[in-house]
Amino acid sequence: MVNKRRTYLMIWVIFAVICLFLFLKYASPKVFQILMAKGHPMPTPSTLMMWYMIMGVLAGLVYATTSNQKFVDFLSFLLPDRGPVIKSLLQKVLFVSFPVLVGWFVYSWSLPGAASPVELRIQHPTLPQNYEKLENPFRHEDAETQRLCIEEGKILFQTYCRPCHGSKADGNGPFANAFRLRPINFQDPGTIATVVDNYLFWRIKEGAPGLPSESTPWDSAMPSWKDDLKDDEIWKIIMGEYDTAGVMPRQREKLE
Amino acid sequence: MIKAFKKGLIGFGLLGVCAAGISGIAAVEEAQASHLFRTYKRETPPKPPETPEAIAEGKKIYEKRCWYCHGIEGGGDGPAARTMFPKPRNFTRNEYKVRSTTFGSVPTDEDLFRIITSGIEGTAMPFWYTISEKERWQVLYYLKTFNNQFKESGAAKMVSLGGGIPSSPESIQRGKELFKETKCFECHGEDGRGNGPLTVALQTEWDMPYRARDLTKSWLFKGGNTIEDIYRTVSTGFNETPMGSYLEKLSDEDRWHIAHYVKSISKDMTSDVVIKATLLETEELPTDTSDENWSKAAVIEIPLSGQIIASPRLWTPSVDALRIRALYNEDEIAFLLEWDDSTNRQEDVFRDSVSVQFPTKIPDSLKKPYFAMGDSGGAVNLWVWKAYWGEGFGSVIEAPETEPGEAYELNAKSFNKISRQPPESQNITGTGVYQNGRWSVVIKRPLKTDDAKNDIQFEVGRLIPIAFAVWDGSNSDVGSQKSVSSWYYVNLEKQVPKTIFAYVLVAIIMGASVELWFIARLRRFPPKEEE
Ligand code: HEC
Ligand code: HEC
Ligand code: HEC
Repeated sequence: MVNKRRTYLMIWVIFAVICLFLFLKYASPKVFQILMAKGHPMPTPSTLMMWYMIMGVLAGLVYATTSNQKFVDFLSFLLPDRGPVIKSLLQKVLFVSFPVLVGWFVYSWSLPGAASPVELRIQHPTLPQNYEKLENPFRHEDAETQRLCIEEGKILFQTYCRPCHGSKADGNGPFANAFRLRPINFQDPGTIATVVDNYLFWRIKEGAPGLPSESTPWDSAMPSWKDDLKDDEIWKIIMGEYDTAGVMPRQREKLE
Repeated sequence: MIKAFKKGLIGFGLLGVCAAGISGIAAVEEAQASHLFRTYKRETPPKPPETPEAIAEGKKIYEKRCWYCHGIEGGGDGPAARTMFPKPRNFTRNEYKVRSTTFGSVPTDEDLFRIITSGIEGTAMPFWYTISEKERWQVLYYLKTFNNQFKESGAAKMVSLGGGIPSSPESIQRGKELFKETKCFECHGEDGRGNGPLTVALQTEWDMPYRARDLTKSWLFKGGNTIEDIYRTVSTGFNETPMGSYLEKLSDEDRWHIAHYVKSISKDMTSDVVIKATLLETEELPTDTSDENWSKAAVIEIPLSGQIIASPRLWTPSVDALRIRALYNEDEIAFLLEWDDSTNRQEDVFRDSVSVQFPTKIPDSLKKPYFAMGDSGGAVNLWVWKAYWGEGFGSVIEAPETEPGEAYELNAKSFNKISRQPPESQNITGTGVYQNGRWSVVIKRPLKTDDAKNDIQFEVGRLIPIAFAVWDGSNSDVGSQKSVSSWYYVNLEKQVPKTIFAYVLVAIIMGASVELWFIARLRRFPPKEEE
């Protein structure tokens, strides 16, 4: 036997992986609950859990192979040793638990059961060409007219859009819970603040049916308002909507 | 050799990082699907002095955030109030609901602070913990100026809310008796579903749009659903509603008993995206809504909203949740659909009904027909059940328990392209019973039908999109004016195959052999330290 040192590196790596598992399973839901100020724990989604665990194991292995000395130490745990009882006990536990773990994986994977599919979608597909050139007819009016438009738009927003998008434009309207693809939170800087205002004109006019299939139109409750609202009203709603949410539309690049 | 192994490991690690990144996006989507109900938050921070400046600040906040609903003069008649039920609070009257003061008196500042912070679930009233505490105090100081009673009444008459007795089966039992003796059931119904005879009479004979709370839905309690909150509500009552104060009518202890009972019948919503249909081997599927086999199926409850996607819209739905169970055997599938409804009154076109929607075939990708009645790219198959109404023109009846109602199949490609299937393609049967404020409907169909073009064909183990709609006749729901859900999935659960144990055994043996081989090799050629 070459390696005379008695190290428990392998056990430490396994211990770290187990700690990671326990953290993800029990501690992190609580941590995220506090961080995100939610009223309920936020369990780590199962797919994410699997990837974190794979990464944890890999990290352990990468660490164990950072130097030859470490690698030798790491493997040496499996070598016979007439050392302390604790070591031979741990060795036995390790030898037994590996096949059991493999068996458990196979069991849990072949159990029938259907998790809901992950429904990835693109929130902001490209704006159709015929909407690209449109401009808000009220943008160039004087400040007082604009203010009146915003006020009018806010009232329209509160009447038609509030049940879903919420009266604060935060996506928390009383009907929002019923839609699994939740109405958009316009205060979120990743939503309407990242697009130009004629983009909204398109979305409001055409609604879900206007979306391309990469944006899963079949799940979207966003109504098409073209039969119910006039173009002027839609522009006013857009102004009121940005104002309610407290964000600004993206400025159009100047055409050279 | 060790070095090559190391490189491999590092590469593998990087791959893992990328994959975790991708699944991170997926996780965000998953988290979005979990929904959240408002809760009544009881903490109040110390309040700033009620100065004219604070009130002036409050006016600004009010005229920015509250007036669309509550009206510029506080009359509850803002321009957006049109599409709301219940209507926004009229601040010029004393119709405050959630208070810790005696019936008829105005709420304390802290009461107002709490309800403004928490919002009111199931109504248009948003939660306002999004504005600063100071702003909340300022705006409520302004609200108080709409009603002189705040100034005149001086110090508010608080209801003492101390003490309390612990919950116990005896206390709940006593509460249950009191619920009868004190006639709570006359409004709230025997099982607490808001279907008492007085509620119905108020609605139909007096045309008063009060709906007694459905006490079985814990998330709808406006003043909070903890024991202390319920005790306070029962003690103080809600001003200007039929919900009176029981401070004088019941002893302190009895109010605690009743609070324990109300708490014991209120349930949380247990929702999920996949409805699991359980296999009922070698047995007929139940046709009866009260069959005990239903207890073998998992219950899932989903929130519904008014249909406001296409006109004519339903802005004020009365059905806000649906409970679903599913069972299947080799030949058939059956659904049990249950929802709370305060009456079973039916009119000519305004009928209590429910529909289950599927795509006409199981989609191979994520692409589905539009969740609201399909679209030109994909038709949907609808199973509709309607409560009985067979009387003459204009008559209003309560659907008798002996009449199971009618069930039929439709196909649709949009709200106005709906067609009833011809009699030879009608394959469903449906039975509905109304009991104690709840409709229970069983709809059954063979797993496979002859009309493969227009009917969904079920397959075990697949995720099959499913959506629901409910109509409440007494709320004048008809046609597209209904409560709706988005797409969910139904899964006909595969049985755990017996072969699984063989697989596990093979896996354990293989795992053990690999391990033994590795260790034997390691011990034979122990790793050498390189110089
Ligand atoms: C029935 C519920 C509902 C109503 C009513 C509704 N929306 Fe939506 N809206 C949604 C949903 C769900 C989405 C997210 C899915 C999507 O993008 O189509 C959405 C998305 C949007 C988006 C896209 C935001 C982005 O960043 O991509 C805009 C803009 C929008 N809504 C504006 C409005 C306006 C304005 C009104 C009122 C005239 C309104 N909505 C009414 C449900 C609704
Ligand atoms: C989108 C419409 C809407 C907006 C905006 C709104 N409210 Fe309300 N509010 C309501 C409705 C509807 C009710 C009545 C709910 C009920 O009767 O259950 C209500 C009720 C109330 C009540 C009475 C609670 C009770 O115990 O009776 C208070 C106080 C109140 N709102 C304050 C505010 C304040 C302050 C703001 C602005 C910061 C505001 N509301 C903004 C719709 C709104
Ligand atoms: C005359 C009819 C009537 C009677 C009798 C009555 N209630 Fe109510 N109750 C109502 C109505 C109506 C509401 C809903 C008020 C609202 O939200 O506007 C309500 C609401 C409630 C709520 C919900 C409060 C909240 O936070 O949302 C509770 C709890 C309650 N009642 C308990 C009781 C108990 C216990 C009794 C008997 C001691 C009782 N009620 C007797 C009509 C009644």
